[in-house]
Amino acid sequence: MWRPSNLDRPTGMFIGLIVLSLALVTIDLRASGEGIGSTLRDGTQAAFAPVQEVVATVTRPFADFFENISDMFSLRSENLALRERVSELERELQETESLQVRVSELEALLGIKPPQDLDSVSAQVLAVGVSEFDHIRVIDRGTDDGVGLDMPVINEAGLVGRVVAVTGSVARIRLITDPTMRIAVRVERTGETGVLTGRGGGAMSLQLLSIDASVVEGDLLVTADGRFPAGIAVARVTKAARSEVGYSLETDAEPVAGVTRIHFVKVLIFTRDEAGVDDLEDADRLPTQVPADPGDPTEGGPDDPLPTTTTSATTTTTTTAP
Amino acid sequence: MKARRLVGAVIIVVVAVALQTTFFASIRLFNAAPALVVLVVIAYARHLPAEYALGLAFFAGFLEDLLAESALGLWALVMTTVAYFVLRFRDRLEDDFSLLGPFVFGVTAGALALFSVVGTIFGEKTLADAGIVRKILLPSLYNLLLAALILPFITWTLGVARRRSAAFKI
Repeated sequence: MWRPSNLDRPTGMFIGLIVLSLALVTIDLRASGEGIGSTLRDGTQAAFAPVQEVVATVTRPFADFFENISDMFSLRSENLALRERVSELERELQETESLQVRVSELEALLGIKPPQDLDSVSAQVLAVGVSEFDHIRVIDRGTDDGVGLDMPVINEAGLVGRVVAVTGSVARIRLITDPTMRIAVRVERTGETGVLTGRGGGAMSLQLLSIDASVVEGDLLVTADGRFPAGIAVARVTKAARSEVGYSLETDAEPVAGVTRIHFVKVLIFTRDEAGVDDLEDADRLPTQVPADPGDPTEGGPDDPLPTTTTSATTTTTTTAP
Repeated sequence: MKARRLVGAVIIVVVAVALQTTFFASIRLFNAAPALVVLVVIAYARHLPAEYALGLAFFAGFLEDLLAESALGLWALVMTTVAYFVLRFRDRLEDDFSLLGPFVFGVTAGALALFSVVGTIFGEKTLADAGIVRKILLPSLYNLLLAALILPFITWTLGVARRRSAAFKI
């Protein structure tokens, strides 16, 4: 007959630790990101950040060496693609300049506050997630610098993610490619609205709500009003698609920010209160209070253009950070 | 002596977690990095007495949990299971050294697969991740390659001779 005393000591300890782990999971899930788990996480992240900083500094020469080797292979094709892109952008710039004037006039007319008015805080990526399944980045700015929970994070190309945890000196960003991320977007060309969902890497899933919507390859998706300020570039459609009767449109879109390799980002000093529109994700985890301090104005302000796109019914303009 | 080696093991685990989250953010062949902490847990479980190995694995997993977005306890569960699995098979590995490579590959893949399944059960959507097979197999392959470096290093830090009897004296 089996009795607990039949177990050898390691097996007993193993079962005990597994039960403890499951208890921790249950307690943490029941707390929904609050409570002791959240406090422990914030404390550990704050305490561990200096260790990560030291290790990153020590290993940077090696990391750069390996990174340069891998970059060498892609340099030639990247060079050609960039030349092509430069000529394309020069052409677009000429069109944009004339459209910019019209957009400003329309915005003034409609009383729209463009995203360029938002203050921002520049930050460096300190660390990544502990595994391939962890779609987070840790940045070296926290509440002391004006960073608050749920603030959008961008880089020179577009939306990178949003702040999901913050301490005095560091903040944790959840990338837009995380499977739990759902972003309200608008197709810049047509104005159709839909939802972008992360898939854990690579292309994101786009679902358009209109029954007769269509998208073509290369269509730019920008944030619609909601959790994020409207008009930030998010992704580009990679597969043309059209809605079928009775079904909403579903296709793929590649994030424009290239989230797998980011070193520097900007946190927009923006809260959902400013958006005033329902969001789609983690509504129960929204901040009850946000820092009043908009951050150091020298680190980014209205004069510092953001990679945003503002769309009106007939006109479009894009500004990209240098 | 015992305390010094345990502290050393804890420090190495902390450094491994720091390397995983910083150094391996840049070194990503085919957009994947080794699961260094899993490898370190395997390496320690080969030599430490069972209770220490399980405790250290739980600590390593808990530290990962605190730095991850997943529910607290998931990585602790996975790492403890890894250590227990290694403890059960380590004598056989000692007898046939050629099994070590495939064993590291298998245990790493098993650990990541376990994390995906348990994560999904607890609502983490890990199985919904794009390229889930790649995210399990590539780190396992890298661990197999890194094992040639990490396993002898951990053995060296413990001062363990190749004699099996010495391995149980921390």
